[in-house]
Amino acid sequence: MSQKTTMLEAVSIRKSFGTRGQVQQVLKGLDFRVLEGEFVGIMGPSGAGKTTLLNVLATIDRTTEGSIKINGTDISSMNNRKLSQFRRDQLGFIFQDYNLLDTLTVKENILLPISVGNVKRVVAEDRFKSIARTLGITELANKYPSEISGGQKQRTSAARALINEPSIVFADEPTGALDSKSASSLLGTLAKVNEERDVTIMMVTHDPVASSYCNRVVFLKDGTIYSELYRGEQTRQQFFQEILKVQGILGGDSVDAL
Amino acid sequence: MTLFDLVVRSMRKNLKHYYLYFFALILSVVLYFVFASLQHDTTVMERTAASFNMSSAFKVAGILLLFISGVFVLYANSIFLKRRSREVGLYQLIGLSKFTVTRMLVTENFLLGTGALAIGIGIGLLVSRVFLLLLMKLVGIDGVLTLSFSGAAILQTIVVFVVLLALTSLQMAFAVKRNTLLELFKVDQSGERIKKPKTVISSVLGILGMVLIGFGYWLSGHMLNSLLLYNMLAVLGSVILGTYLLFRVTIGWVLYQIRVSKNGHLGLSNSLSLAPLMHRMKANANSLTIITVLSAMTLTMLAAAYSSFYSNEKETRLVEPFDYMIEGDTTATDQFRKALDNAGIKYHASTIEALQLDGDYEKELNPMLPYKDLQIRIVSERQLSEAGLPIEIKGSNSGVFLDGGIYWMLKSVEVPLNLTLEPKRLNKTISVERFAEGNAFNMIDYTSTLVVNEELFQEIKSEYKIHEETQLNHATAFNLQNEGQLEEATGLYKDIESPGKKSDYYTQYRNTLQSSGMLIFIAGFLGLVFLISTGSILYFKQMTEAEQEKASYTTLRQLGFSVQEIMKGVIKKQVFVFGLPLAIGLLHSIFALKSASFIFMSDVTVPTVIAMSVYIAIYLIFAFLTVGYYRKTIKAAL
Repeated sequence: MSQKTTMLEAVSIRKSFGTRGQVQQVLKGLDFRVLEGEFVGIMGPSGAGKTTLLNVLATIDRTTEGSIKINGTDISSMNNRKLSQFRRDQLGFIFQDYNLLDTLTVKENILLPISVGNVKRVVAEDRFKSIARTLGITELANKYPSEISGGQKQRTSAARALINEPSIVFADEPTGALDSKSASSLLGTLAKVNEERDVTIMMVTHDPVASSYCNRVVFLKDGTIYSELYRGEQTRQQFFQEILKVQGILGGDSVDAL
Repeated sequence: MTLFDLVVRSMRKNLKHYYLYFFALILSVVLYFVFASLQHDTTVMERTAASFNMSSAFKVAGILLLFISGVFVLYANSIFLKRRSREVGLYQLIGLSKFTVTRMLVTENFLLGTGALAIGIGIGLLVSRVFLLLLMKLVGIDGVLTLSFSGAAILQTIVVFVVLLALTSLQMAFAVKRNTLLELFKVDQSGERIKKPKTVISSVLGILGMVLIGFGYWLSGHMLNSLLLYNMLAVLGSVILGTYLLFRVTIGWVLYQIRVSKNGHLGLSNSLSLAPLMHRMKANANSLTIITVLSAMTLTMLAAAYSSFYSNEKETRLVEPFDYMIEGDTTATDQFRKALDNAGIKYHASTIEALQLDGDYEKELNPMLPYKDLQIRIVSERQLSEAGLPIEIKGSNSGVFLDGGIYWMLKSVEVPLNLTLEPKRLNKTISVERFAEGNAFNMIDYTSTLVVNEELFQEIKSEYKIHEETQLNHATAFNLQNEGQLEEATGLYKDIESPGKKSDYYTQYRNTLQSSGMLIFIAGFLGLVFLISTGSILYFKQMTEAEQEKASYTTLRQLGFSVQEIMKGVIKKQVFVFGLPLAIGLLHSIFALKSASFIFMSDVTVPTVIAMSVYIAIYLIFAFLTVGYYRKTIKAAL
């Protein structure tokens, strides 16, 4: 694994919100690295800064301090226009509530990210076919989001995230709105995509089951990295137990309440 | 906390939503009040009372205005209600009864309504002077402005808008009553499921829409016959139905075909224009049809009114080719000459001889002129030209036919056309080489005139004398050298007593100026109201759509599309939403004007283009406002 190149590197990033006098620091000097082909889970109790970290890494929000490099490009100094372009070329997004456009069919939604650019129609069609096959949504191509289930919507969303062959895919609680069966099916697919297509994925979640599909899980607490777990050769079940342990120590939402 | 507190709080919180409805209300009040105060103004009343046509035009305009204001306010209210349905649902969810929610909304409505009424009347009082000034200027009255504080106008406005408020309150009560909680929470996502159009039916209906419009256009060019009224109704019916089908079926069908041909590779700008349009085609068909028809009506009305105002001088000159004309009476003629000389007004006077004969066409001219015989006045081209009206004649045994009153029916008659003079006695046949616009004589009587060259005239004159003891008519035409003295000279002309007939240019000009000035004012006023209503309705609708699509914009920006790229798609949609009704409305109005062009003798292209350009310019303001609102929404989306 050590030969793998670094896909994402964040050095001492800080993010604070609020105005003078009432500053709240959410990320407190965080160092973070994702290697190519990794499937990383980010966990932590509410308020630990998971979503903020994701937004900052995904170029949707800016850091207050620190530098971020994705696939060798320093994104902290880019202007908004360049950032937009960068997101479209290099990144993929999967959101908790799918964020599909209601007025577009599944296929149109998936092809949207490469609709403005120089991807030829034939190439786009090929990519669509292959991704749709992997995610098992070929049959749904001409359906509208309102006609399909939550799990199918999230697969569509995942397909949209993959269509531009991104350097890294950011997933924000992708299973948050799914029932457990659809959730595990989607996670299985993500793991498969990660393995077969060698796609780098970074997923924020608070569900230990979801993070047990990852190669590595990073725990955040109060804006810093609390600990890290590598799956290594463990089975998913074993890894899941490990995660639960750390979560217990860390004090998840439910533990805090007791 | 009392209900009233809640009302005040929610109004303060909801200002963003309210201002739209509030603005619509104020605008309606201002326009209605201005119109009402003009209606009650003594100067205007005196002017209009003199002409039955004008006072009835004013009344009809008042009713139309009332109707439009009503529809507009109700429509704005319905959009406003839709935007707030979530809030209304929330109140019900926390346990307020429907009755209480209704009472709350109605209280709000009355607070808003009375506020709008007060502000509207205030603004109305300020601007009605400007409108009166404009009206006075248009009808050519200069004088002191007497617009007084009109209690009657205020009362009328208050009554009208209290009734409207009651109606909107009723609308609110119904909206609360009808909607279930579930629906209330779902309104934001509402949109139609796009179904595959049934190919056969929709292509048939789609084509039918275009055929109906085409048929209407064709018929509008061929309706000047005895069935005129039915033809007009048929044109209206087929064009309106065709327009509806066009929006409801044809365009949806075309968009669907385009989309299918893209096979999923829609592209960003189509995703933001074509897809949402298809999504709301059914809901939009009604309003787009109404807006198109309303635009067409407004454009036609404005262009026609402006044309009549614009070409007044030209038209009057065609009807009254000479400044003054006195028929027969030499004493009166001399009197007028003397009067002009005394006043130091320079003029040119010339006497024209006219032979009054019976004539017989070789065939009927037009289905609307179902006779062949006529009274005709023969005059010499040389004498006319000396009097200041040169008319070109080509043939030696032919003449040019002039009759301003029926020129529109004669335009299309084929020439040359044989005309037999005095078939019983003289039986001389000459041909009409062309029908020219305007009159050859002032409107002394309504006889048609045939202008022939000098030799032919002398020939007819002498031949006619042989058969009949002649009574050759004389008329003297006066033209002033300086048009600025027309008013003074007209005063002198009116004082001349004559048993012979008189008719002059300036009196006619002033009369037409007044009626056409009043007409353009009313048309312009109503047009403005229509325009503001249609523009605002489109703007409000698009605002709501922008709010509904906000989440999509957020997603798109997260996916990495820039504001500019997203705006391209949005602008494409606006070109469709604003452009299509405008384009079709323009086309409709062009055909309507073409079929109504017979009322004008002169060419009205210039005034029509001017009126339409002004309309388009104001209309586009709304399109730009809409685009601006979208830009703001998209910028704030991330």
